[in-house]
Amino acid sequence: MNSAISEPVRLIWSRIIWRQWRRAPKVPSVLVVILALGVAVYLSVRLANRAAVTGFSLFTESISGDSDLLLRPKAGTFREADLPQLRDAMGAVPASMFPILDTTAAEGPGSESPIFRIIGTDFVALPNAAYLSESDAGSPVETTQKGFAGLLGRSDLVYISESYAAEKQIGEGDSIRIYIEGAALQLSVAGVLKNDPLRPQIPHRLLVLDLPGAQKLTGNEGLISRVEIRIPPGPDYQKNLDLAMARLNDWGSERFVIETPGQRKDSATQMSAAFRLNLTILSTLALIVGAYLILQAMEASVIQRRSEIAILRCLGVTPRQIQKAWLVESAILGLLGSLLGVILGLGLAQGMVRAIASTVNTLYYETTTSSASFHLGEIGVAFVFGTLVSLLAGWLPAREAASTPPAHAANSGARGGGLKLLQKPLPGILLMVIATGFAFLPPWIPEGGGPVALGGYHSAFCFLLGLSILAGSLFRVVAKFLKGRGNDPQRNYAASQFRLPEGRHRLAAAGLLAAFGMSAAMGILVASFETTLNAWIRQMLKADIYIAAPGAQSSISENKIPESVWKTLVDRPGIEGVDRLRRYQISLAGKDTYLAGADYNQSGRTLQLIWVDPPVNRSADALEAMVGNDLHPAWISEGFARQYQKRRGDRFKLPTPEGAKKVEVSGIYADYGSERGTVLVSRKYTSVWFDDSSLNNIAIYLESGVDEEAWLANLQKSFPGVVARTNRHLRDDALRLFRQTFSVTYALEGIAVVIAVAGLGLAMVGLLLERMVELGTLKELGMTRRQIAKAAMWEGLGLSITGIVGGLILSLILGWILVYVVNRQSFGWTLNYEIPWVSIAALSAAMLATGGFVAWLVGYRIANLRSDLVDRSTFEADR
Amino acid sequence: MLTISKLSKSYGETTVLREVDFFMKAGERVALMGPSGSGKSTLLNCISGIDRPDSGRIELEGKSIVEMEERELCELRRDSISTIFQFFHLLPTLSVRENIEFPLQLLGVPEKERHERLADLVGEVQLKHRADAMPDELSGGERQRVAIARALATRPALILADEPTGNLDSTTGESVLELLESVSERYQTAMLLVTHSPDVTGICQRTVHMRDGEIVENE
Repeated sequence: MNSAISEPVRLIWSRIIWRQWRRAPKVPSVLVVILALGVAVYLSVRLANRAAVTGFSLFTESISGDSDLLLRPKAGTFREADLPQLRDAMGAVPASMFPILDTTAAEGPGSESPIFRIIGTDFVALPNAAYLSESDAGSPVETTQKGFAGLLGRSDLVYISESYAAEKQIGEGDSIRIYIEGAALQLSVAGVLKNDPLRPQIPHRLLVLDLPGAQKLTGNEGLISRVEIRIPPGPDYQKNLDLAMARLNDWGSERFVIETPGQRKDSATQMSAAFRLNLTILSTLALIVGAYLILQAMEASVIQRRSEIAILRCLGVTPRQIQKAWLVESAILGLLGSLLGVILGLGLAQGMVRAIASTVNTLYYETTTSSASFHLGEIGVAFVFGTLVSLLAGWLPAREAASTPPAHAANSGARGGGLKLLQKPLPGILLMVIATGFAFLPPWIPEGGGPVALGGYHSAFCFLLGLSILAGSLFRVVAKFLKGRGNDPQRNYAASQFRLPEGRHRLAAAGLLAAFGMSAAMGILVASFETTLNAWIRQMLKADIYIAAPGAQSSISENKIPESVWKTLVDRPGIEGVDRLRRYQISLAGKDTYLAGADYNQSGRTLQLIWVDPPVNRSADALEAMVGNDLHPAWISEGFARQYQKRRGDRFKLPTPEGAKKVEVSGIYADYGSERGTVLVSRKYTSVWFDDSSLNNIAIYLESGVDEEAWLANLQKSFPGVVARTNRHLRDDALRLFRQTFSVTYALEGIAVVIAVAGLGLAMVGLLLERMVELGTLKELGMTRRQIAKAAMWEGLGLSITGIVGGLILSLILGWILVYVVNRQSFGWTLNYEIPWVSIAALSAAMLATGGFVAWLVGYRIANLRSDLVDRSTFEADR
Repeated sequence: MLTISKLSKSYGETTVLREVDFFMKAGERVALMGPSGSGKSTLLNCISGIDRPDSGRIELEGKSIVEMEERELCELRRDSISTIFQFFHLLPTLSVRENIEFPLQLLGVPEKERHERLADLVGEVQLKHRADAMPDELSGGERQRVAIARALATRPALILADEPTGNLDSTTGESVLELLESVSERYQTAMLLVTHSPDVTGICQRTVHMRDGEIVENE
């Protein structure tokens, strides 16, 4: 307590509040824990987000140590033979170049098999890296402290990571099995890469080989993925770096992306910005929910202590001093909660980082982080945020405490509480108008990043706030409904409370409305997603058998099925037709996206895309015919159209190893598989542009009468290295993955309901404590404890009904915003709006039952308090 | 009708009632006077079953209140004993009509009979024109009239009045006392009125004085 806090404030805190805490430590303890949980969730998500970004391929992007520049082709790989040209382009600029082949292999045969990152680097040049830096010893690959003699050119000897060696209990000389291009291969461990605390963490599944060995192993002879360039340290470092960058840009900016490792990280991690923002918003919600409960609980405690406050006021304590004392209480709650929250958050972050890293790995880019690190800045932000939120929550009860008049007559029952803001409908109506405006704003596109639906988020927030304010308008209807024929005195009494609703009624109803609305809206989003995905899968998947390279689920997978394998495979008897697809990652306008080459079965049955903007010609060979001089037809996914703001008829250039190729958008299709976006052209062209006949996916249409299960079993026997599934299995797998992804939302819905009901319970405590004298009168009139509890139950039900009706309206609006604004703007997916009525009915029933029960419980407990005697004694100090 | 014998009650080490003996006849009006802390309110609390005595007996119409369970005490307060308070204690969210009707609903009186009694009572307390008003729209005197009507609604044998005019100006207080006297006569309801005011004693047949938890004078 500092000197700014006056003696009366100190006295109030130490004599009243602190003593109350000691007498009933449960309430402040629960509040500290609630706040701590909010801070913990917030901090852990922030730390995990940070870890997912900082862990972006740092190790594999800097094999040569701290590389200064990265040069990578905009599409595909490039030839080693081009390296002399690159050297020439650099001229006399002092720089060392380290060519890298960066590709993948699967650990097992399944489509969800973990992926190995394979790095091929020049073991001859690598030792020189040590002389290029003042800060480190050179390449992280050297950590084995062993020379590379005997490894040069070998495709069967690999380095593995320390963590993988520990997990599998293997070491030098042991063998491991991987799957490349459909074939299982046996490799020998040449050494184990040790983690160095000064370096980025080594990815768990990493295989490092000498470059020629890696090229041979992966069938990429003569090809490299990128070149790491290092400028020697010294006084001219910056000048040489700028010069190297300028010369490289002059030479190859058409074909290559030239960037610093920092720029590479930014461009890659920007893709997940919307995902990370969503998580941060969700984690902030946890903290706000904590604040709501603190507000409710502190209000109840102010009511309990009102007579003490009234006496203090009589003794000359000013309202400001009283307000300060109660703010000190919330500040202390905030400090304790935040401190505990930070400790919990650091632990929770370790679990959270694995979940977030796994999603980021699947959807966006490779991140090697497996643990969150201690970040003082983030901890500071969470600590201050938690304390501020608690102070804000305490402000309202503190103001209420301060407004207590001197010698407050307990029997006059000054009713009130809750935010004044909630008592007038006009701000609510204004907010709804503003919210409608926000909903129609275009997305915000940060430089180099994907669009973020800021307008949608603001709109959702304003609708939530606006409807919370307007919820009070429903009380009149609820009162009528509760009263019924008016013969039940408990219902009558409960209904009468909604005729003159207090601020606290409005606040409790607003809390229930928000919780129900957000839960049901999430339900609408999930149902819309599931229905759309189901329809999409049903229409898209017309083939009988689907074949993919192992590990196809991962965003970093470059695994493919070589021509030798797929040609034999599609020559098998019983096949009526085949769809083939090859997908490449390309860099377009500074962002990573996909270029896919497809050729479709022309036997009649074929892939049925769902069109957002359909092409004039939808036939299977529509992509084959050129649409003009050097102009190729292309279908683009909705996600691509959104990312690059393209429409049907637009023309643009695609980077390919053969140079830029011009395409014209002839149709836009829905694609719920990736938010990066895809440009689809005929494989007739991509196989030439990339000089590549391999495939990623094959769809097979069997002749009628062929037993697909038997055909599949035969195929798997002959080709154990590919992943093959029947149509039904693929659908089931897709929906299972979907449900797994969204399973957390059901848990969140449950938590929201529990919190809202806890809020209702606290609100009922406040309402009934404030009405203690009235309860005394009810008892004098002959009401039993159970009857009082029943009246409280009806009141709780009235609040729940208001919350549910308002929440339903909110959910329909929020669902619309999530489906048509946030989802479309952030991910580029058009979904069918679907309301899960059964789930919403179940949610309503759960909220009604728990709300009624909690209110009954509170009523039953409070009805037994003997404060009626205390109150009576205040009327006449007589015994 | 009401017999109290050897009633004692202590709060911790403070003895509030010391072997109090007291009785009332049906329809009788008794004023209970005494300085603050003399035990008047505790006696009232014990009679209405809000407080339990340490020893002694209280019998109302032959039934022992001391031995009653909580449920029976509730029933007692519902149909045999009503209380009128200094600060009225109307339910603020119920209208005049609803406040008066409320105890009848608790008692399960049929709707038709409720309405008949209600019409009778609002007429009795001269508040027909204010029947739909809310408590905060009424003057102090009007509020106390509603409280009286509510207390009479169940036709109790005994009404306990805790400083019924203590919060009213003298003119209003006088009219409230007249009303209490007239309804007591009309419904033959016994009334025990805790008061500091000599005016209240004017409508009572008997005045009992208490000091230090004992009845010191019974005139």
